[in-house]
Amino acid sequence: MIYAESPALEIVNLRKHYRRIEALRGVDFELGRGECLAFLGPNGAGKTTLIRALAGRTRPTEGTIKVFGHPIDSIGARQALGLVPQDLALYGDLTTRENLMAFGKFHGVPRRELKKRIDWALQWTGLTDRARDLVGGFSGGMKRRVNLACGVLHQPKIILLDEPTVGVDPQSRERIFTMLDQLSDEGASILLTTHHLDEAEQRSDRIVILDQGRVIADGTIDELVLSTVGHSRLVRVRVDRPLTAPVTVPGDGGQRRTVHVGEAGRDLIETRIDDVTVNLGPFLKAVRHGGYVVSDMEVQVPSLHHVFLHLTGNELRD
Amino acid sequence: MQLSLRRLLHNRIELLLTFVVPIAFFSVFALIFGNGIGSGTTPKVKVVIVDEVQSPDSTAIVESLRNSAGLRLMNDDTQDEALSLHDASDMVRHGNVTIAIVLKPGQGEAIRSDLLADASDQVAGQVVSALVGRELVIAKTRQAARARRTMVRRPPTGEATATSNPLVRQQSVVPEESLDPSELVQIVDVIGEDKANPVVSMYAAGIAVMFLLFGATGGGGVLLEERENTTLDRLLSTELTMDQLLLGKWFYLTALGFVQVCVMFVWGQYVFGIDLRGHLDGFVMMTLVTSSAAAAFGLFLATLCKTRGQLNGLSVILILTMSALGGSMVPRYVMSERMRELGLWTFNAWALDGYDKVFWRDLPVDALLPQLAVLMIAAVGFLLVARALAIRWEFD
Repeated sequence: MIYAESPALEIVNLRKHYRRIEALRGVDFELGRGECLAFLGPNGAGKTTLIRALAGRTRPTEGTIKVFGHPIDSIGARQALGLVPQDLALYGDLTTRENLMAFGKFHGVPRRELKKRIDWALQWTGLTDRARDLVGGFSGGMKRRVNLACGVLHQPKIILLDEPTVGVDPQSRERIFTMLDQLSDEGASILLTTHHLDEAEQRSDRIVILDQGRVIADGTIDELVLSTVGHSRLVRVRVDRPLTAPVTVPGDGGQRRTVHVGEAGRDLIETRIDDVTVNLGPFLKAVRHGGYVVSDMEVQVPSLHHVFLHLTGNELRD
Repeated sequence: MQLSLRRLLHNRIELLLTFVVPIAFFSVFALIFGNGIGSGTTPKVKVVIVDEVQSPDSTAIVESLRNSAGLRLMNDDTQDEALSLHDASDMVRHGNVTIAIVLKPGQGEAIRSDLLADASDQVAGQVVSALVGRELVIAKTRQAARARRTMVRRPPTGEATATSNPLVRQQSVVPEESLDPSELVQIVDVIGEDKANPVVSMYAAGIAVMFLLFGATGGGGVLLEERENTTLDRLLSTELTMDQLLLGKWFYLTALGFVQVCVMFVWGQYVFGIDLRGHLDGFVMMTLVTSSAAAAFGLFLATLCKTRGQLNGLSVILILTMSALGGSMVPRYVMSERMRELGLWTFNAWALDGYDKVFWRDLPVDALLPQLAVLMIAAVGFLLVARALAIRWEFD
């Protein structure tokens, strides 16, 4: 039974300890029905542990996971989930069809429906003409597609994807996301972890950022930008010679105040401008007034990349 | 070269296989044949004696054989009833003893002997033949000495005069040619005499059991591969449980092993004349149970190890050791008592004993009960331990 009001996934205060290491430190979030949620975080943030806990492969130390309102260990909850692991968990010495058949059976697809589902999967992945070929000889992109198909053959309502596009070329990534869009259109809820921030930004409805076992941000891209770096644009101007002193951009007597930008000795000026249509002109005028010639200029729109670095810092997380 | 050496030094399993495994395996063989734990316990041949003569001379021969260092007399006439020829023959057929020594009356007072032998032990027949022949010759010499003394004491008669020539007298009491031990002792093969190429079946069984073990550990290793490439994780995230996974692999490895041994014996039947059709029931039972035990052993080893490399190293050492001790490589009858006892801790020994009963001794299937029971218990035991060890893979 599926409760009409309950979200697809509901995670409350999820904790996981590995001896002295605390991989998850009280994670809370929800995945709405039909929603595509991107789960981001630096290496070691706890993303894979979370996916493993959702897939029933690790027992949380504390907290609850509910699938459509039911505990994860209840009958039918596992059937509602489809896991697509980060590694290519396939049998390279079996053909595409044989792999699909094996995982279909393990997922409990009834024998009478199995052939139909395999035919669908072959068509969906664009591998109908390679159905009888051994998967071991496939390209990385093709293996990824088979990997994906094996996880969704039983038509799960929730699909957990752990970095589904790692190590594939842009064409294959595009193809994989087209496939995921199809599933999303059919009503599946998707939770994906990825390091491709542009992918998360473009393909997901909502973003959750995890760091050091905690959720540090949760919202749409606009909400995250607004709550972190704001909507100001980063403007980079390269001038013909190093500055002798910071450039003074005068205020207008109103909301815009007088500011000093750039550093003496550098030929690159960086500043944030809230409204480029109003404030970019006065800034460039001040540069020229200082006796410099603008040789290059770049205006950066705030993106998930900036949000991510703003929240998690620039330090390596190896 | 430097690159290869550095890679070798970084790979512990490779180092183990390169340097430790040969030493370990050499040590096992040294212990079997050399001066290790098997020394000082020269294999004694298990025998029974049937005394059909029941004379003071034959009793003396029995006593002398009882005290022989090379024989272990399995019947004790002082406690048991006298053994019949039929019972003794049965004991040889069942493998309870290697040879039954039958003392029979010869010409005059002479005693001769038939050795009811199990020809699969080609060494024992020769050893016992030599020992018994020696005792028979000694007995004959004693008889001759007695006869001479009797002749000296007896007053001369016409008849006696006619035989007073020592040479003529000796021929009448103790024929000269019978002093040759080989003519006093006859080896009777009670098991293999009617069989076509029977020993081949024993070698086939030895090789089959060894390859069953290699095949099963190789098959069990798939579990480790699945774990290493995270396929196991994926499998366990489906509706499949660890119980189903292990049982599935066990059934598969058992079936594969069964077919493997069947193919080998069918080949043996057509090419080397093994009588497979005549022993089909015993063969099927032994092969099924041995395959299931080997499959369970393979899964046990796989779940015991952390990596495929570790499994390869461990399985090579264990299987070669078990095969050496259990008789897959060297017949167990050449080993010392101690090594034979040690061999019973390997299931090669139990499996080979079972095949021996089927193909060599022609025993009915109910005689296989001890071997079937031990192998089945081993299969269940290994499977349960494998299941317990696999718990660590179910959840982090």
